Amino acid sequence: MCCNENFEERNKGEKITTVLDLNDISGMKFFDPHVHMTSRTTDDYQAMADAGIVALIEPAFWLGQPRTGVDSFTDYYSSLIGWERFRSSQFGIKHYCTIGLNSREANNEKLAEQVMEILPQFIFKEGVVGIGEIGFDDQTAAEEKYYRLQLDLAKEAALPVQIHTPHRDKKKGTQRSMDIAIEQGLAPHMVIVDHNNEETVKEVLDRGFWAAFTIYPFTKMGNERMVEVVKQYGPERIMINSAADWGISDPLAIPKTAALMKRSGISLKDIELVTYRNAITAFAQSGQIDEQDFIKIKDIDQSQKFASNSILRGGQQPRIDKNSIIIS
Amino acid sequence: MLLIDINGLKKLNGVFLKILQGNLSPEAMEWLLQKIALIVAEDKSVQLHLCFAHLPRIATKKTIEIQDQETQQISKLLPGFLIDNWTLDKLSRVWLLMQLPSDNRETYVKKINSLFAAAEMNEQIALYSALPLYTYPEEWISRCEEGIRSNIGTVLEAIMYHNPYPAKFLSQSAWNQLVLKAFFTEKDVSLIVGLNERVNEALIATLEDYIQERLAANRTVAPEIYQLTQQMNP
Repeated sequence: MCCNENFEERNKGEKITTVLDLNDISGMKFFDPHVHMTSRTTDDYQAMADAGIVALIEPAFWLGQPRTGVDSFTDYYSSLIGWERFRSSQFGIKHYCTIGLNSREANNEKLAEQVMEILPQFIFKEGVVGIGEIGFDDQTAAEEKYYRLQLDLAKEAALPVQIHTPHRDKKKGTQRSMDIAIEQGLAPHMVIVDHNNEETVKEVLDRGFWAAFTIYPFTKMGNERMVEVVKQYGPERIMINSAADWGISDPLAIPKTAALMKRSGISLKDIELVTYRNAITAFAQSGQIDEQDFIKIKDIDQSQKFASNSILRGGQQPRIDKNSIIIS
Repeated sequence: MLLIDINGLKKLNGVFLKILQGNLSPEAMEWLLQKIALIVAEDKSVQLHLCFAHLPRIATKKTIEIQDQETQQISKLLPGFLIDNWTLDKLSRVWLLMQLPSDNRETYVKKINSLFAAAEMNEQIALYSALPLYTYPEEWISRCEEGIRSNIGTVLEAIMYHNPYPAKFLSQSAWNQLVLKAFFTEKDVSLIVGLNERVNEALIATLEDYIQERLAANRTVAPEIYQLTQQMNP
């Protein structure tokens, strides 16, 4: 989940730009275990596929605008297992999701109660690989209540949990999130603690949880820092994601970080663990990930390819040259 | 006004069961039968939703193996209906839907609608493919129209291909929308049941406009469109 970006910080000073060269990472494949595709365009899907992203997980989150009725949640969850999954398949990317009530909207208790009632209808659907993203934002009593209830649900359903850790008061919020997960009887290996930084990672790993890092400009991790984290802690139980959403973010965060890691001398084996394998190992505990599907979906059926009337309108080539000024 | 009467439906039910028995593992078949017993007994839809969602994990997504004789039986009982390329989870889901008690119309319709409301992509495909098999066929007309508005190509195909429901029950305007959408999304219209039988002046007029529009835009026109328009004005 994103936050309010600081404009001054964002625009401060000139950045040295280094261009992503796809040749640096050719042959590598990536798994982005946290990206909000609902907020992204088809250009992003195309670029992600080109850069080697073969599968992704879209966690249910706050849409930027508070929802006022439970039906909005039903429709959102349905779109994650329906339309968005189809959209992704048209670009040869296997789409999974996690389903949950996000921390911000847990504060609307009347609505939260109703959302809790519909969650069981969605968590057993095909391709739902966990409960998420759930956890703390403001760290209110209501957030804690629905966090605990959803941990119970995950335990009952034997599904992994994807935890969003708060932006503010992060260190304590992360500790508290883990404490509560243990209190509710979850095994650390079933919990992916997301949005880590240099201050939180050690404890998360020491306690046996998965540590996910979000490469997201200005507010979360930069990838140069990420390289240092991997150098210091090694690749075990560490995974990176883009958490790309409606804010200034980057759906190519994983391939870019892989390129940077390679340039920084991190071994290909370790890069693969951090950018692909660990996320699969963690979320495949749901029993819902079959790597064969990554290949099958590349073999895009033409009937699917031209199926939609809004993405790939009849007659157009599915692949368009973005550099051409001609649009036919 | 039925596509298939109670007796025909019973026979079809038997054919599907036989195919399932030949394709599902004994454990999966047993699991499904146990679940159906629970589903038939419940007032609510909890077991129904759980079983419907879980089926691919139990049944697998292999393509079914079907005998020619079975294909013929199906096509005789329900002309136009063809399940040869179905996956095992899809057939299991559709067969499960056929076991729902339908004595109480309101409850029956409510249960099926609740499945539609929370359906993922493959569930939608199964639900729309089963349109000709539901009791109270006129209850599903607006649902079918809604499905034609879908952007998910495979869902459109579940309604358009080898499915005799739309031609039988859709109003002229809804039918015309289906045909136009099929052309617009470049579907294989030869698989649409009733395409030639339901051709009408309003459809032809719109298709002729569509041809002009395509030509004006320097785009190609599918030959099947001409076949349809010429059928009306030879």
